[in-house]
Amino acid sequence: MTASPDRPGPPPTGPDQQFQAHVADGRLWLQTCQDCGSAIFMPRILCPHCHSLSLQWAPASGLGTVYTRSVLHRRPKPGDDRPTEHAIILVDLDEGPRIMSRLPDTPAADIRIGMRVRARIAGEDGARVVLFDPEESKT
Amino acid sequence: MSNTLKGAAAIVGVGTAGLGEAPGFNAMDIQALAVRAALEDAGLSLADVDGLFCANMSHTFPAISTIEYLGIAPRWIDGTNTGGSSFVAHAMSAAMALQAGLCDVALICYGATMRTGAGRMVPAAEQPTYEIPHQPRYPMTAYAMAAARHMAQFGTTREHLAEVALAARAWAQLNPDAFERGDLTMEDVLSSRMVLEPLTLRDCCLLTDGAGAVVMTRPDRARDLAQKPAYFLGGGVASYNRAISEMPDLTTTAAKDSGARAYAMAGLGPADMNVLQLYDAFTINVILFLEDLGFCPKGEGGAFVSGGHIAPGGGLPVNTNGGGLSFTHPGMYGIFTLIEATRQLRGEAGARQIPDAETVLCHGNGITLSHQATAILGSENTL
Repeated sequence: MTASPDRPGPPPTGPDQQFQAHVADGRLWLQTCQDCGSAIFMPRILCPHCHSLSLQWAPASGLGTVYTRSVLHRRPKPGDDRPTEHAIILVDLDEGPRIMSRLPDTPAADIRIGMRVRARIAGEDGARVVLFDPEESKT
Repeated sequence: MSNTLKGAAAIVGVGTAGLGEAPGFNAMDIQALAVRAALEDAGLSLADVDGLFCANMSHTFPAISTIEYLGIAPRWIDGTNTGGSSFVAHAMSAAMALQAGLCDVALICYGATMRTGAGRMVPAAEQPTYEIPHQPRYPMTAYAMAAARHMAQFGTTREHLAEVALAARAWAQLNPDAFERGDLTMEDVLSSRMVLEPLTLRDCCLLTDGAGAVVMTRPDRARDLAQKPAYFLGGGVASYNRAISEMPDLTTTAAKDSGARAYAMAGLGPADMNVLQLYDAFTINVILFLEDLGFCPKGEGGAFVSGGHIAPGGGLPVNTNGGGLSFTHPGMYGIFTLIEATRQLRGEAGARQIPDAETVLCHGNGITLSHQATAILGSENTL
């Protein structure tokens, strides 16, 4: 069960910190409602579908489908060596929830709505995030 | 019980100030000028105001700062902030407060100077935790995502989106107060700089300075004032999410519910609406709201706006002031839907006047398709 600030024992942490702790350890885990079975993201103290407090963490498959996309076209400025295109996606995870992320190694023009993707954890210690790679190109 | 607010209040004064650029002035300055203009329009004064409805993005406590600046001491204060939709929702809250006797003269107001101040759209300080690491550009990213999904799901095209921008510009050319009045062609829109794919610069609203104010009273008093009253016939609000990533379906907004609630209260439907004022922060918004408010089936908004159908001379007048796309957009636009609706119902909209306008639907959108508010206004004949 999700930690409660009212329970005795070791100092509890809230759902945000628990999610981030999983990500820091290289895992995408989601809360699952023990009453209605819904998988939940963003992390919460209660189920937004049935309002139960009985939530447990479970590993996600990491598989999902691109629901939509947008691409920021930056105007290049002197000293700014960032790519001029910055694509962001919404992914519908196979478990149900939707998550904002990126396909950092896929050119923006190749990001299609409906494409299958797989999650990975990336980034430096202390700043890890959930990113995605195309799943279809793999056998 | 759903009809208890119908006709409970009327807009009796409207005013604007600082539209376009107001260099050297701050938000509270031009807001005060708009308030003065609205009260003068009604034949009332600041001393008459005993109800205040206010939201903005520049002040943490907008209503309280407004009270202090204006030197008023209202007995009813509503600072509900749902984004740019706030003021359309305030019209319903004001009708409720007037009917309950919590106030006798309700003032709804807004002002901002982002264009000459910060020089950019200043987004809310707090943004969704799990979106920020991916560096979205608020609010544009959210609307680009909705547009991309609508295009993929229903075959909506960039030409469809451009039709909305062209209609707005054609209306703006009939409005001497509009910020952008130059000629605009389909080719201009399609070839303008891609900002947030699939939205180009011309799919995005203006960023101007500007302030607006609306004064409401009960009908008995309204009839004795200077202007022809614009009666509140029905209203509704709806919201399910803050973050775009939490929105259940990016092609269907909560306007479906806010609109249904407003129609039910007014006892009217889409076919009864003579004029629409839809918050057009981006071209896709108008397509989404035309669908969700029942003017065409879901997915057919692109075809609906084609061929100048919502432009001057078309079948359905939408955003007759030129909208946020070409008239003015000082960060939050909702109050300008009420102001233009009132002018249309009075018959004082000049070259852009819709003959015999008896009903106007105003629709406000807040944050990133996060909150929707609908208000239906009508002439005395519609009561």
